[in-house]
Amino acid sequence: MTEFIHPEVLVSCDWVEQNRSQTDSIRIVESDEDILLYEQGHIAGAVKLDWTTDLQDAVVRDYVSQARFEELCAERGISNETIVVFYGDKNNWWACYAFWVFKLFGHEKCLIMNGGRKKWELDKRPMTRETSKYPRGIYKAKEPNNSIRAFRDEVLAQMQARKPLVDVRSPGEYTGEMLHMPDYPQEGALRAGHIPGAVNVPWSRACDDDGTFKSRDQLEQLYLVEQQLKPSDEVIAYCRIGERSSLTWYVLTYLLGFPKVKNYDGSWTEWGNLVGAPIEKTYAYKK
Amino acid sequence: MSKLDAIIEEFQDLDARDRLELLLDFAEKLAELPEAYQAERDAGLHRVPECMTPTFLWVQCISGRVSIHAYVAPEAPTVKGFVSILVDAFNGTLPDEFAAAPADLLHRLGLAELLGMNRLRGLNAVQRRLKNEIGKAAVLAVET
Repeated sequence: MTEFIHPEVLVSCDWVEQNRSQTDSIRIVESDEDILLYEQGHIAGAVKLDWTTDLQDAVVRDYVSQARFEELCAERGISNETIVVFYGDKNNWWACYAFWVFKLFGHEKCLIMNGGRKKWELDKRPMTRETSKYPRGIYKAKEPNNSIRAFRDEVLAQMQARKPLVDVRSPGEYTGEMLHMPDYPQEGALRAGHIPGAVNVPWSRACDDDGTFKSRDQLEQLYLVEQQLKPSDEVIAYCRIGERSSLTWYVLTYLLGFPKVKNYDGSWTEWGNLVGAPIEKTYAYKK
Repeated sequence: MSKLDAIIEEFQDLDARDRLELLLDFAEKLAELPEAYQAERDAGLHRVPECMTPTFLWVQCISGRVSIHAYVAPEAPTVKGFVSILVDAFNGTLPDEFAAAPADLLHRLGLAELLGMNRLRGLNAVQRRLKNEIGKAAVLAVET
């Protein structure tokens, strides 16, 4: 099988099981959608990182400050040179999201455990409820690296320039049907549809049933052949709040080696609420 | 004091870490789904469509009292814990009591701050769905 372009950022469950005791140099970080999964059981030695309460500012819609990021790393025994291995539920959405935030603050050695919690559990590998405490790390965060983060004005410019926008939400969200289903929660947006010109490639198409990523050949078939994207393209990926699209950002950047991909973390909860923002809606109600 | 008020008080007395532990206790004590309902679940019936997590509810009104059976996928202990609180608080009560439950229950339990806005939405939908189902079951019980 052809290797991924940057295989060094992806490790297997086996690798984690064999290396997890090297806590001086490696920190395993669990990042989940569900706030109780870590408490219910986690990989021995892993620390918890919550994408809302730890990574996001509690008041402003943004990530935490550099100072706060430094503190949350230090508390978990993470220093600048620590190898941080992320894993989590939901096919590693939140693991990729945390990975992306760590990259935003310039952390060098970030890895994803292929398959996340799902694969670990399918393999029936051991889990524990015991939490681990590590000596404080020494951390100096860099200025946020916005070359991997798209803001709304850039997204508008991207749309106007007809450069690739990848909407990784489900087809129902993309076409605009979703907000019309009775009793469906409003998903935090007032308008439904997608950014004009965006293609729909649901994130899930990059993953296998066991939570691991598809092979390079399959991924190339999807993004390069079917979607006609080129590795030299400047691509912006988005979803609802930027979590599913950070998985796609990871796939395009590291597994397929696109050097110019940005994640639009404002995503649909910003665009679908923005006054005057252009929207394309392909769903039409039929009786 | 109602059972729900007692649960709210129990949560409010705890710090954030212990609130998670208590929620996990609730998740773990949600009764297994009776065999009679398992085939319906496997056929995808009674699923709560607003919830990304596979969540299933069966609501009936028996002799004027609410009877709830629920199933939540094991990979979503948070949803399971919240459903378990609702089942614990309202099984055997009058249908009107659920209707009177505070809509901001997750805030009162001190869980909203741990969940954040995005996760709050899905869980609020479970409470809303259960309220609707209990309302329907009560009407059905009167008609039959």
